[in-house]
Amino acid sequence: MDDLMAARATMAFSLGFHIIFAAIGMTMPFFMSVSHWLHLKKGDPVYLELTKMWMRGVAILFAVGAVSGTVLSFELGLLWPQFMEHAGPIIGMPFSWEGTAFFIEAVAIGLFLYGWGRMKPWVHWGTGLVVGISGFASGIFVVAANSWMNSPTGFDWEDGQASNIDPVAAMFNDAWLHQSIHMQVAALQAVGFAVAGVHAFLYLRGRNAKLNLTALKIAMAFGAVAALVQPLVGHFAGERVAHLQPAKLAAMEGHFKTTTYAPLTIGGIPDEESETMSWGLEIPGALSILAHRDPSAEVIGLDQFPKDDWPNVMVVHLAFQVMVAIGMLMAGLGLLYFWFLKKKTLPRWFLWALVAATPLGMIAIEAGWIVTEVGRQPWIIYEVFRTEEAVTPMPGMVYHFVLFLVLYLGLAAVTTWLFWRQIQNTQQKLESHG
Amino acid sequence: MVEALVFFIAASLLLYILLGGSDFGAGILELIPAKDRREKQKHTINRAMGPVWEANHIWLILIVVILFMGFPPVFTKLMVALHIPMIALLVGIVVRGTVFTFRHYDAIQEPVSQRAYTWLFGLSSLWSSYWLGVIAASLTRGTIPVRAEAFQEAYLDPWLGWYPASVGLFVSGIFCFLASVFLIGESRDDERLQEHFRHRAAAFNVAIIFLGALVFFASLGEQRSLATEFIGHPLALAAMIVATVLFVALWVSMSREKVMLTRIVASGQVVLILFGWWIIYRPNAIITTEGALTFYDAAAPEATLRQLLIALVVGSLLIFPSLIFLLRVFKFTGSSEESE
Repeated sequence: MDDLMAARATMAFSLGFHIIFAAIGMTMPFFMSVSHWLHLKKGDPVYLELTKMWMRGVAILFAVGAVSGTVLSFELGLLWPQFMEHAGPIIGMPFSWEGTAFFIEAVAIGLFLYGWGRMKPWVHWGTGLVVGISGFASGIFVVAANSWMNSPTGFDWEDGQASNIDPVAAMFNDAWLHQSIHMQVAALQAVGFAVAGVHAFLYLRGRNAKLNLTALKIAMAFGAVAALVQPLVGHFAGERVAHLQPAKLAAMEGHFKTTTYAPLTIGGIPDEESETMSWGLEIPGALSILAHRDPSAEVIGLDQFPKDDWPNVMVVHLAFQVMVAIGMLMAGLGLLYFWFLKKKTLPRWFLWALVAATPLGMIAIEAGWIVTEVGRQPWIIYEVFRTEEAVTPMPGMVYHFVLFLVLYLGLAAVTTWLFWRQIQNTQQKLESHG
Repeated sequence: MVEALVFFIAASLLLYILLGGSDFGAGILELIPAKDRREKQKHTINRAMGPVWEANHIWLILIVVILFMGFPPVFTKLMVALHIPMIALLVGIVVRGTVFTFRHYDAIQEPVSQRAYTWLFGLSSLWSSYWLGVIAASLTRGTIPVRAEAFQEAYLDPWLGWYPASVGLFVSGIFCFLASVFLIGESRDDERLQEHFRHRAAAFNVAIIFLGALVFFASLGEQRSLATEFIGHPLALAAMIVATVLFVALWVSMSREKVMLTRIVASGQVVLILFGWWIIYRPNAIITTEGALTFYDAAAPEATLRQLLIALVVGSLLIFPSLIFLLRVFKFTGSSEESE
C-alpha cells in the first residue's frame, strides 16, 4: 500500500467508523426525549425504564463518537496538510460553528446523564432535547464543510493559491442543502430501523413485551417516516449531482457515453477498460428523466472527461446500487409498517423482517459516503486540487492506518460486548421485577 | 483581529490545562490510589468528572479549529513535523475517554473488568499528558523544519530530546497537582480521602518544583534555552518567582482547609507559569529551524478572521452560560447519588 492509498484508507476508515456513532449520537437523543416526555406526561414507569435504557446506550456511543470526532479534527491536518492549508480559511467557518454546537452538546449530555433528581423534571427533559438539537446541528455543519469539497465556491483560484475568500459563500455552497438533508434524513432512518430491529428481536424472544413494543414504535415513528421521505430527498440530491458533478453521476450510473435518451442501468458491472456495462438491466430514457426531467435530455458520460479525472467507476457504481436498493427496501418496510399500524397488528414475520433490517440503514450510510467521497476522486477539492497533492509528505502511512484500524476494531468489539452485557442485565432486572 | 483570536487561543489553552488537566490528572491519580480508599477514590472521581469530562476536552478541539481556520500554516506545520507525538496523543485521548465511560456504564460491575478499565484509564491519562507536554515543548524549540528531506530531520528531531521529555513529565506533574487540589473539594464527605488528596497535592506541589528545575536544566542543551529566556525576561522571571512564592500561600490555605482559596491559588500558579511562557514567545506561534512564525505572519485573510471571531464570540455567549449552569448543578453536594 503506498502512502496516498494508506492515507485515503485511514481517512475512509476513521470517517466510516465515526459516522455510525455520530448518526446515533445526533438522532437517538430525540427518541429518548419522546420516551422521557411520555413518562413525564403519563407517569408510566415503562417509559422511564426505556429512557434510562437508551440513555446508557447513548452515553457509551456518544463517548466513542466524541473521541473519534476529536481524532478526525486532527486527521485533517495529519493526513491532508496541503489541503487544510488552502481549505482551512475558506471552509473553517462551518467547523467553528460545529465546535460551538458540539460544546453545547457535551454540556447538555453531562447535564442529562447525571442530572436525574438535580433539576426540575422538565428542565432535565429539556437538556436531553438540547443534546439532540445541538448534535443534529453539528451534523449539518460538518456535512456543509464536506459539500464544499464537492462544490467549491467562495474563492478565486490562481497559480495554486486561493484569494478573495468569502467563508459565508463557501459554507452555503451549491451542494450543502441537498447533502445535509440527505445525510440527516439518512441518520434518522438508519438509527430508527437499527433501534427498532434490536427491540423487535428482544420482543420476539419473549422479553418484556410492553417495553420493547413501545421502543419499537417510537423508533419506527422516526425511521419509517424518514425512509419514506428519503427517496424524494435522494432524487433531489441526484439531480443536483447531475448538475454539479457530472463525472460523479456518470460513475454512479456506470454511464460511459454521453447520449440523449440515456438509459438507467440497474445493477450491472462496469468495465473501465472497454467502457461498457454488462449484466445490468437497462430502462431506456430513464436516466435522462431522473437527471433532467426530460427523456430526450443529454446526460454527460465519462467520455467527456480525461481518464485521469475518472473516479473508480466500479466502486462508485456498486456502492450507489447498494445504497439505492437498501433505500427502496426500507421505504417498502416503512410503508408496510404504517399499513400494519393502521390495522393495529404487527405480524411476527414483519417483526423478523425488521430484525433482518437492523444493519441496513448503516450499510446504506456507508455506501452513500463511498459514493460521495470515491466519486469525487481524483479531486480533494473538485476540479481545483487533487488528493495526491494534498497528502502529507510523511512516509510509512501504512503504520498509521494499521494503528487506527486495530484501535477502532478493538473499540468496536468492546462496545458490542458492552451492549450485549447491557441488554442481558436490563432483561434480568426486568424479569426479576416480574 | 489577530490579537483577539490569539486571546481566544490563549483562553482555550488555559481552560484546557485547568479543566482538562484536572481530568487527566485524576486519571493518573487512579494509578496511585489511597490504599484503603481505592473504591471510594474511584467513586469520587467518577462523580466529579463524569458530568464535565466531555466539555473539558472541547477546549482542545476549539484550539485546533482556530488554528486551521485562522492560522493554517501553523496548523499544517505542526501536523507534519509532530505527526508522531500527535498520533500518540490521539491514541491516549481515544482510550481514556472511552474507558472512563465504559467503566461507569458497564452494566455488569465486576472486579476484573473494573480493574482493567481503571488501569487503562490511568495509564492512558499519563500517556496523553506526557505527549501534550512533548508537543507544547516542541512548538518553541526551533526544531520544526521548514524544508526537510531526511526522515530523522523531518519527523523525529522536532520532538525528540531530553527537553521535550522533561516538559512531558512536568505537564503530567501539573495535571496531578491540579487534580489533587480539585478533588480535595470533591471529597468533603470523606475525611480520610480528603486528607489523602491534601497529601497528594502537597507531594505533587514539591514534585512540580523539582520537575520545573529539571525542565530548566534540560533546556540548557537546547538551541534556545527556556531557562535563560525565562531569566532574561523581567516579567517572565517575576511570574515564575511569584508562582513559586505562592506555594507558601497554597500550603497555608490547604492546612486551614479553605477549599475554594486553595483552588484559586493553585490555578493562579499555573496561570503564572503559562503567562511567563507566553510573554517570552509572543507573538510567535511556533519557532521553526529558520526562525519564528508569528501569528501575524500565519493569519488567514481578513474575511476569514472576521467570521471566525463572530463564531467565537457568539459561541462564547452560548457556551459560558451553559457551562456555568453545568457547574452549578453539579457543584459538590455531598450526596453520593449516581445517575443510576
